[in-house]
Amino acid sequence: MRTNVVMVCAVLLFSGGPLWAHHAFTSEFDAAQPIQLRGTLVRAELINPHSWFHIDVEEEDGTLTRWMIEGGTPNTLFRNGITRNSLPIGTEILVDGYRSRDGSNRANGRDMTFPDGRKIFLGGPPANQVR
Amino acid sequence: MRLRFVLVMIVLVALPVAGISGQNTPWGDPDLQGIWSNRTITRLERPQELADKEFFTDEEAVEYVRDTLERTNRDRRDGPAETDVRRAYNDFWWDSGTTLVKTLRTSIIIDPPDGRIPPLTEEAETLAAERAEQRRLHPADGPESRSLGDRCIWWRSTGPPILPTAYNNNYQIVQSPGYVAILAELMHAVRIIPLDDSPHLPETTLQLMGDSRGHWEGDTLVVETTNFTDRTNFRNSGAGLRVIERFRRDDPDTLMYEFTIDDEATFTRSWTGQIPMVKSDGLIYEYACHEGNYAMTNLLEAARAEEARAAGDQ
Repeated sequence: MRTNVVMVCAVLLFSGGPLWAHHAFTSEFDAAQPIQLRGTLVRAELINPHSWFHIDVEEEDGTLTRWMIEGGTPNTLFRNGITRNSLPIGTEILVDGYRSRDGSNRANGRDMTFPDGRKIFLGGPPANQVR
Repeated sequence: MRLRFVLVMIVLVALPVAGISGQNTPWGDPDLQGIWSNRTITRLERPQELADKEFFTDEEAVEYVRDTLERTNRDRRDGPAETDVRRAYNDFWWDSGTTLVKTLRTSIIIDPPDGRIPPLTEEAETLAAERAEQRRLHPADGPESRSLGDRCIWWRSTGPPILPTAYNNNYQIVQSPGYVAILAELMHAVRIIPLDDSPHLPETTLQLMGDSRGHWEGDTLVVETTNFTDRTNFRNSGAGLRVIERFRRDDPDTLMYEFTIDDEATFTRSWTGQIPMVKSDGLIYEYACHEGNYAMTNLLEAARAEEARAAGDQ
């Protein structure tokens, strides 16, 4: 049995696995344009099933560039006890993601962390948790 | 003796109406009301490698769950960049479940016995290939080129039949005399199902979610849905799709859900699935897909940018 399970997992792992998002992420964001941003949260749009975090990123010359970062379904936030107050405007965040294919200042928030390295949205729910 | 026989008969007749759980609505129907979740990591189709295994043992289940959660964890950053993009964002955001169905079946499909969707008919294979070619040639000409899900119109998991997906796997059932309403959190899709033996809509009236009519068979709500459009296209099905669903409250915290897919033009035989849905103490939250939806413009602008790049390369 163990062999079977391992085999199934191996097949799925190397075939890419059953990945799914509400929108086709590979059509939106460019795997060839990984991007890292450090910015300050100026607006959070949490309207299920989409969430967008607007951040101001300071350029070398001191000017600010506004970026939009796509997150997941806000209902998951609420069910994990995170509200608007959990991530106040002005919070500094680091974004590790992929830039929009059209070259605009949009990216997906593949990983979002605080400057000290803590993940803002950490892990999945505990096993057997019914929400 | 005669009195005892009569009493036994009364109990036997009354039992199915009262339902196994013993919970009834004030007007006497079995009470299915509440918020139910079908999130599970059990897959619709049984993996080929488990072909001869209908159920996991407890030990196998633990191992399968552990391996699956490790494999599907989106916090992983291994693999090529394309895989990283497809994982979209941290595991935190997803709500696909962390457990198998409580029956420990190895697939949601229980019939055919191999747990797989039956082969398509030749006609359906041809249609599916044509649709795939159309999507390949015209992936993002305009919003209409995109799937109904991308367009915030309908998502196939909301049913019928109701199936688990990546998040928002929550359903609310509300009953009134003569009606059952099922609200899906995903896409905010609602079905209001009459229980009055009224006929289906005329054959000329087709709807994305079809036309559902229900009745009680003892403690089980049986719902038949027909009148689908060919754009509903559940697993390559066509307008001839007929879905039979059965809802039964096995205990206060379990709603046993079964569905049968019948579409002779598409599948070489009918097929049936089963998911025990779990009672949830949580709430249903709103689904406002169009508001703040930058993804559609993002998708279309990305396609135009790709076209411009390709034109520039020539």
